[in-house]
Amino acid sequence: MWRGAEAAHSGAGALVRLFHVSKSFLPGTWALRDVSLEIQKGELVFLTGPSGAGKTTLMKLIFGAERPSEGQVLVLGRNLGRLGARAVPGLRRRIGVVFQDFKLLPRYTVEENVGVALEVLGTPAREKRSRVFSILKRVGLQHKRFQHPLSLSGGEQQRLAIARALVTEPEILLADEPTGNLDPELTLEIMELIASAASRGTTVFVATHDHALVDRYGRRRVRIEAGAVTEDVRLGGAHL
Amino acid sequence: MSHWLADLRTFLRSAWQGLRASPTTAAVATGTIALCLLLAGSFALLLANMEGMLERFGQEIRISAFLDDGVGVAQQRALLARVRTAPGVEGVELVTKEEALARFRASSSGRGELLEGLDENPLPASLEITLVPEQRNREGMEALAQVLRGLPGVDDLGYGHEWVEGYARAVSLVRGLGLGIGAVLGLATLLIVSNTIRLSVYARRDEIEILLLVGAGRGFVATPFVLEGMAQGLVGGLLALGLLYGFYALFLPNLADALRLLLGYATPVFLSGKAAAWLVAAGVGQGALGSAWALVQSRWDA
Repeated sequence: MWRGAEAAHSGAGALVRLFHVSKSFLPGTWALRDVSLEIQKGELVFLTGPSGAGKTTLMKLIFGAERPSEGQVLVLGRNLGRLGARAVPGLRRRIGVVFQDFKLLPRYTVEENVGVALEVLGTPAREKRSRVFSILKRVGLQHKRFQHPLSLSGGEQQRLAIARALVTEPEILLADEPTGNLDPELTLEIMELIASAASRGTTVFVATHDHALVDRYGRRRVRIEAGAVTEDVRLGGAHL
Repeated sequence: MSHWLADLRTFLRSAWQGLRASPTTAAVATGTIALCLLLAGSFALLLANMEGMLERFGQEIRISAFLDDGVGVAQQRALLARVRTAPGVEGVELVTKEEALARFRASSSGRGELLEGLDENPLPASLEITLVPEQRNREGMEALAQVLRGLPGVDDLGYGHEWVEGYARAVSLVRGLGLGIGAVLGLATLLIVSNTIRLSVYARRDEIEILLLVGAGRGFVATPFVLEGMAQGLVGGLLALGLLYGFYALFLPNLADALRLLLGYATPVFLSGKAAAWLVAAGVGQGALGSAWALVQSRWDA
């Protein structure tokens, strides 16, 4: 039984709020049904559930790639149902997203792939170079910064996607299966990066099938099944 | 300022990468623009020469006022003085009957015997009138002719107004055709360039999607495409100009005789610097508009 009401905070400092949100792509079928959530600043939330349960749709709603069919989505104080198309880029600049399929730019080098997120923000060239190098060092890709994504392994591409999402120091980080292609050792390294972002105040959503990861880092677990939240619990996660 | 420069650098780099990524598409768009501008430029060149020819012929425009045989020397001088003060007149020369005959003989060498055997000189005395430059057109000629017709002793007028009118009509026709064909060519190029760039937009839809997902605004995404279009237009325009000049320089010597026949002693000219700049600017404009139109038609759903 979903214990969302117990898990939810007062909402005063919530960065993300969903009120009875439903999303339908085809008449009569629901990707999400009556989802209500409140996520506080700096929370690390794991979204779990089987494939096709609605985890990715939930994330898309949060960064404005989809609009709710019903209900209200409030992100960083903006009601996304009423957000004009011109305001969407501004919202996205405050959110880092790690996509399941990475969504890297094949024509750009590793460095340029990360740098483009800062270019969008209008970051001066010198500062951009410094921040890109710093984040590439953190994900262990600084020595491959002039290579192109297609020459990288799956794990390296994933780390590159994470570097791009984190380089802007976003207020919200959405990571869709961020460790899906990594070996256990790299999985821990990447999760450390993500967890450290949360500890610095970034609100983090991680969609994953990896129960071991949830058990190890989980502070809050939201389980979605057939588009509905079936569980929302806080856990006493183990820390390294 | 540095922010603007950083953006410009980003846009230029992105545009350059876009061109490098799809050289065939870029070459097709550039070639299309060049071909259309070459055709439009050829018309402009023809037009410029026809107008130039009219201008030069205009400088040769003069009116002959033939006088009645009964007009005496005193009246001829009075008419000369009267015409000299008429508006639009630059100069007047009195050609007496004797001088007219002498000129005829000189100009018809070998056929001077045509006038032999006649009892009297059949050629009339005339006033040869040149017009001030600003009146050397159809309207100026007509206005002066009106004045001359009202003068006693003037029997007939000789000036090539029919020819000038016909020629002016021909220039208007060519200019109209040039504008019409230019407009059609321009529109066709715009559509072709737009569709070519749409292919480029389509080929890079993933990149566009990713840029939008990381928070890029439409301007950020669209600017490199428009710059690409402008670069293709610039190269296309310069190529068209170069080809046009190449053809002009290559074929002119071979056509010199025909042109001399067609244009009289007028020298054919190439496009003026201003017209050449307009041709290249038209290429840049077509590239920019074609890109913008392609982007408007491409749906960005990210």
